[in-house]
Amino acid sequence: MFTEELKAFRRLGFRHVLLQALNFASVIASGLMIWKGLGLLTNSESPIVVVLSGSMEPAFYRGDLLFLTNPVHERYHTGDITVYKIPGADIPIVHRVLETHDAKYRGPLPAHNQRLLTKGDNNEVNDIELYRGLEYLERKHIVGKVRGFLPYIGYVTIAMNDFPQLKYALLGGLGLLALIQRE
Amino acid sequence: MHSVFSRINNSSALLSSCAMGLLAAIAVSSMLLALFEAPLDGGVVNVNSVKVVYGKGRQRKYEHAVVNFEIDADLSPLFNWNTKQLFLYLDAEYTNAKGVQNSVVIWDRIVRRKADAKIHVEGKRAQKYAFKDVTGFRDASATYTLRYNLMPHVGALVYGTAGTTNATVAFPPVINHV
Repeated sequence: MFTEELKAFRRLGFRHVLLQALNFASVIASGLMIWKGLGLLTNSESPIVVVLSGSMEPAFYRGDLLFLTNPVHERYHTGDITVYKIPGADIPIVHRVLETHDAKYRGPLPAHNQRLLTKGDNNEVNDIELYRGLEYLERKHIVGKVRGFLPYIGYVTIAMNDFPQLKYALLGGLGLLALIQRE
Repeated sequence: MHSVFSRINNSSALLSSCAMGLLAAIAVSSMLLALFEAPLDGGVVNVNSVKVVYGKGRQRKYEHAVVNFEIDADLSPLFNWNTKQLFLYLDAEYTNAKGVQNSVVIWDRIVRRKADAKIHVEGKRAQKYAFKDVTGFRDASATYTLRYNLMPHVGALVYGTAGTTNATVAFPPVINHV
């Protein structure tokens, strides 16, 4: 099944390969642009995240896809599900807000004078042990607030992390297809 | 033209767009339903008594509030075909002497079935989480509100209120143990 593809490949020559490489690059570039554009719109460094742990079960399972926003002027409320990242920790954590404490207006944005305590629905205790010495989360640690949810779609990325061969096979296959397809 | 590749490509494209369309329809329909649905009949939140005692936190001395509350609410109207679970929580809101606005969850429950959506909680051990303040609860009073977070199988998260104490509840002076 590949012989005719290879024949076509030879017939079309060098210019065609270049063109396809350009197409491939533009696909990657537009993907990156959409991602960064979404980040700008939602004010979140990572507007779509995949759930990596079971600490929010039964609300979220491993592999669920979450859509986040992080509006500048909006304060967080108890019950909101946040994604936060403590400096020094490798992965962001998805947990629910248990306490909010709003100090009197000090900084440029009142919504940012907020200290939060979080807890995973499936955990017995709150997250103080995860904060690496901090007593409360501050706004700067928060990546976003969960707004919407799509089940299990993100499991592909978990699978690719667990089995790197799969990732290379997929990338290689896509690259090859992009080079030899004729439309 | 009709190679194996193109057939696989076409059928998987059709399948995935159908699945996406279906998911979108479910998400949008349940959102519309939430919009047009009558507001929830108010549940009852009563605070029977509040006690404030000293306690030791991790680093500092805190004042702990022990709240004896009662919740009576029926949340079954919130359940529809796209409801995965209901996260219920009792939220205490107060402003302390330093002017810090606080909101603290002292009780929560996950409801996964419509049959379990009639909530009745009361008693001394009902409070699940520590309710503490470094500054203290002096002269403060709190509003206790039962809130819910409706989590769908697919789509947007919905938040709402299911009941609240009609008046603010003042914190009593600290009881000094020993």
